[in-house]
Amino acid sequence: MNIFKIAFRSLQFRLLGTTLTVLSMALGVMMVVSVLSVYGLVSESFRSNSSFGFNLLTGARGGGLQLTLNSVYYLSRPIENIPYEYYLAFQNADVREPQLKNSLAYRALELEQQTAWAELQSQSLPGMVGWNALARGLVDDAWSRRQLETMKLEKAGLFSYYVDYAIPILLGDYFEVPSADRSFRVCATNRDFFDKLVLDIDSDEHFAFEEGGRAFDNNDLNVGYFGAILGAMAAKQSGLKVGDQIQVTHGVPGEGSSHLHEQYFEITGILKTTGTPNDRVVFVNLEGFYLINDHIKPIEDDSMLKGVSEDEENPKPPTDEDDEDIFADGLDDQVSVAPFGDKLSDRDGIELPMRTSDETLSRYALPIEQREITALLIRTRREGDEYGTGAMALQPMLDGGKLESSLNWSSFRPINSQTTAQCVFPVQQVETLFSFFVDPARWVLLGLTILICVVSGLSILVGIYNSMSQRHHEIAVMRALGARRSQVMSIMLAEAILLGVAGGLVGWVAGHGLNAVLGPMVENQTGVPVSFWDFAPPEPVFSGLAPLFGDSSFANYLVKFRVSPELLLIPGLVLLAIVVGVYPAVSAYRTDVAKSLGK
Amino acid sequence: MLRITNLKKSFVQPDGQRTPILDVPAFELAAGEQSVLIGPSGCGKTTLLHIIAGIVRVDSGSVKLDNIELTKYSEAARDRIRADKLGYVFQTFNLLPAFSALENVLLGMTFASGRHSGSRARELLVRVGLGHRLSSRPSTLSVGEQQRVAVARALANRPKLLLADEPTANVDPKNQQQVIDLIRNTCREEGVALMIVTHSMEVANQFERVDRLEELNRVVAELRETA
Ligand SMILES: Nc1ncnc2c1ncn2[C@@H]1O[C@H](COP(=O)(O)OP(=O)(O)OP(=O)(O)O)[C@@H](O)[C@H]1O
Ligand SMILES: [Mg+2]
Repeated sequence: MNIFKIAFRSLQFRLLGTTLTVLSMALGVMMVVSVLSVYGLVSESFRSNSSFGFNLLTGARGGGLQLTLNSVYYLSRPIENIPYEYYLAFQNADVREPQLKNSLAYRALELEQQTAWAELQSQSLPGMVGWNALARGLVDDAWSRRQLETMKLEKAGLFSYYVDYAIPILLGDYFEVPSADRSFRVCATNRDFFDKLVLDIDSDEHFAFEEGGRAFDNNDLNVGYFGAILGAMAAKQSGLKVGDQIQVTHGVPGEGSSHLHEQYFEITGILKTTGTPNDRVVFVNLEGFYLINDHIKPIEDDSMLKGVSEDEENPKPPTDEDDEDIFADGLDDQVSVAPFGDKLSDRDGIELPMRTSDETLSRYALPIEQREITALLIRTRREGDEYGTGAMALQPMLDGGKLESSLNWSSFRPINSQTTAQCVFPVQQVETLFSFFVDPARWVLLGLTILICVVSGLSILVGIYNSMSQRHHEIAVMRALGARRSQVMSIMLAEAILLGVAGGLVGWVAGHGLNAVLGPMVENQTGVPVSFWDFAPPEPVFSGLAPLFGDSSFANYLVKFRVSPELLLIPGLVLLAIVVGVYPAVSAYRTDVAKSLGK
Repeated sequence: MLRITNLKKSFVQPDGQRTPILDVPAFELAAGEQSVLIGPSGCGKTTLLHIIAGIVRVDSGSVKLDNIELTKYSEAARDRIRADKLGYVFQTFNLLPAFSALENVLLGMTFASGRHSGSRARELLVRVGLGHRLSSRPSTLSVGEQQRVAVARALANRPKLLLADEPTANVDPKNQQQVIDLIRNTCREEGVALMIVTHSMEVANQFERVDRLEELNRVVAELRETA
């Protein structure tokens, strides 16, 4: 029988005490392992995703960190939105003009013009063709001048010069995968997200698609406005493929008001794994997203538009017949602005086909005043800005209220709309996250670990100490059988070590078991998947000791040496066990055989 | 085989006084010889056995076991000699409660220099009549059975000498004779010298050689008690 077997038998004999000691240690170790690995994995994931393809982030005023967590990591509770017009402020005239025409303000101007025409026609003098034409021309002229003045139709957006791209995202919906019992954030965006956004500001790498997939067009030949793209993880866990159709959930799943949207989106592509939070996102076409009923903001004052569509309480689903130019019939068709009738917020019953023409969209698209976005991912213009000072100049402007001035072209505003925007440097926000939350947490963890080690050590000591008086006789018997002092001492140390290893192993397994149980919750909160087999990532755990060795190469090595703190746990506990085992071991060493044999 | 000359041993009492316990001018035991050591309580029998076993150091004198001068060796070396050359059976609580009967015997082999052999341990337990209780814990054995395991364990390393300190004091009279016979017979079969301490004249009278410690020992008990 070797020393460990002898020690093991002694522990086995005191099964209850041993079990209690091991359990009390294991509980502590479980805590440490679970917290260490979850903390490690989460902070590692944040750190490795702390560079993005944009250098400015604009969203509703509020916590900058919250905005960043939402739009970079797709985390945290959904936040307020900002008007869609802020997106247009970064676009050139080509993009702006058609979009601005899809507005309540534009419709109102059109109405005015039509009314003026109609009045003209009623007063037109028979036979005076020339006069009539002139009057009509004057009305048209005045109308386009008003368009230009108030809507700045032909002009580029105020900030379009300063940016390479500004990509809108709209968050708040979820895609639920019942089979995997989890949900993914839905990010509504446009094609620029896939064409322009780079994965990392220092690289030119864009999102890549798995074979057979592609980005959706804003009005796609195949899927119309209802294209969807899955991140790698979302695709893997849902098992969905290109061509499959999905429905998204409005609101946070499991909360009272959440419900499934009727509208289907069709998957046009699946992204290759990026290792970023984008892997866990379902992207849908922003344009199609706006066509969903729940995403319409009622406007404050729609009286101007009221009474226009008395004939059509509810808009009809588009038919081939309807797909004509709404202005083709000119004066005769006063109901052509039907979709913006008096029931602006109620478009139930519209079932939009996947494949539609631009004209249909212009009838059913949400006017831009009623549109919102959650954030704009902005990359400032690189041309002529080698030192990256553009962002420094732009950020205070965007953060200081300059964006709000781009709203004054329309008198239609959604009720309760949040218009004050903020603009942050996302990298700075992530640094804040680290310096205020992540890094201090590390010290708390260290303290916790030390505390639990001390408690573990004490429980070993107590476990062995409690049996010490009985042990003296046993030790004396062993000595009488010829055991040396060093051997009985080793047996006691071996017992302490076995307790340490057992407590460590049980705790370690339990810690990972706890991770497996808490994994889904952690993933929901942080987006970082944590399973049984995920270990705390390697860290330079010994770097703190480096100063003790001055300038030596060993100090250098200590700084560089990385190991998963978990792997140190069991060796650490063994070391600890040896330290606390010294007391009973010495006591065993000193046992007076002659005296103890008599007892 | 065992030769003690001019052995002197005294203990320091808690009050600081040095009390002589043993002063044995000569004691000898031949190989395979069996002797019973008797004497009044407190006369130093256990102390003498401890000295022979190398557990207790002498103040002066010589203890030669199998031609090895015990007093010259370090404690660790004496431990090894004890493991190899001696078997020891105490009055009670001989066995380690955490180990089965077989393991207790194997434990006796663990600290000796020879190779442990499970078959030897098993064979000894069969010989003492416990072949069917190999994996029983001591707490499930009767005192007599425990003493038999202790005898098996003491003989496991093929010692030269078996020391037994009142091995039957706690055994009921019926089993007492059995244990004594077992010890004597196995020692004879294995060619092991035996030194047994007892208070029972019934036991002592069975031996050809009876040593009275108060006769061997020059320290007079009365003298010690008055001191
Ligand atoms: N470590 C010690 N320190 C001081 N005195 C001791 C020590 N060990 C034994 N003694 C004393 O030495 C004397 C002899 O003790 P020992 O145990 O050898 O007697 P014994 O003959 O075995 O008696 P018994 O028949 O009762 O077992 C006793 O008076 C005892 O008090
Ligand atoms: Mg005695």
